[in-house]
Amino acid sequence: MTEGIGPVRVPIMERVLGANDDIAAATRTDLARRGIFAVDLIGAPGSGKTALLEATLRLLKGRHEPAVLVGDLATRRDGDRLARWCDRVVQISTGEGCHLEAGQVRDALRGLDLRGVDLLLIENVGNLICPVGFDLGQAAKVGLFSLTEGDDKAAKHPYLVTEADLLLLNKSDLAPYVSFDRAGFESDVRLLNATVPILDLSARTEEGIDAWLAWLDAGVASVLRGRPTA
Amino acid sequence: MHELSIAEALAARVEQHAPVRARIRGVEIVVGALRGIEPEALQMCWQAVTAETALAGAVLAIEQRPWTLTCDRCGREWTSVEPFVECTCGNSTPRPHGTDELDLVAITVDANEPGEAAATGRPAAEPPGALMAEPT
Repeated sequence: MTEGIGPVRVPIMERVLGANDDIAAATRTDLARRGIFAVDLIGAPGSGKTALLEATLRLLKGRHEPAVLVGDLATRRDGDRLARWCDRVVQISTGEGCHLEAGQVRDALRGLDLRGVDLLLIENVGNLICPVGFDLGQAAKVGLFSLTEGDDKAAKHPYLVTEADLLLLNKSDLAPYVSFDRAGFESDVRLLNATVPILDLSARTEEGIDAWLAWLDAGVASVLRGRPTA
Repeated sequence: MHELSIAEALAARVEQHAPVRARIRGVEIVVGALRGIEPEALQMCWQAVTAETALAGAVLAIEQRPWTLTCDRCGREWTSVEPFVECTCGNSTPRPHGTDELDLVAITVDANEPGEAAATGRPAAEPPGALMAEPT
């Protein structure tokens, strides 16, 4: 038996989620090469993620060729709702997982024929916290808040607000019925993220939804412009 | 509870670095304020994930990086565990800045005590599979 030197500290310095990030990076490269603009939609349960995507898919008919991935802990209900409006919908069951991970998105995409697709909408699991830190390979992260959740939700979820490329404030049609300090919400957002656009809309009445569709148009156009020529 | 996924990812990372026939005594990570990680929850998940594995008993040390707050009114800059706090000058809206690192900094390896539970090392992840149909 050799007498050892006792415990040794070995420096490593690596990202803990490096395995997830590596898969996401591969997906990001693949999607960009195919000219697909991918959006990771993050919002609380009941904020209207699926309702927004239903309206979006209906209004974008003929304008873009979308594919949709939808993550839920259980049930296929969201996937079934969205499949009425889109041929390429994959429901991802996360089981106990409170967020989507890059491997799940990659696997779902591998089962899809992506020819002709220019827009990938990923509805993350309803949760304002866990999904933010897991890169999926998206081009843009969109945070969805709604008036019924209360005006303090931006301040309480700083990571999402900081990381988001766009914030949506849904259920604007309910403004007369709920007390939501819109200016206070925005000033919390601005302390965390000076530049992120905030769009007010209602997925139900479609009020304000044109600005969201125009933002998607611009995203698709930017990916097509940046697409490397083979 | 993203702490569970993080604990699982951390255990996988550590196992990749663990020499064969050595016991891992300690694991050090740093976490930026933006991550919103609850250290107690992460410790609990780490215990659960590593129980009855080669990493059982490895002590997890979590260094949390706080928020940096900047006051636009008096110019003061300080750190805080809370992002929204008042400045001593009375300004109620100092600007919070957080970082989102989540890094495995170091492991402590004890080669004297390989034991039966010695870590075996885990192969690196397979490269991600190709998507269907090449771009046209």
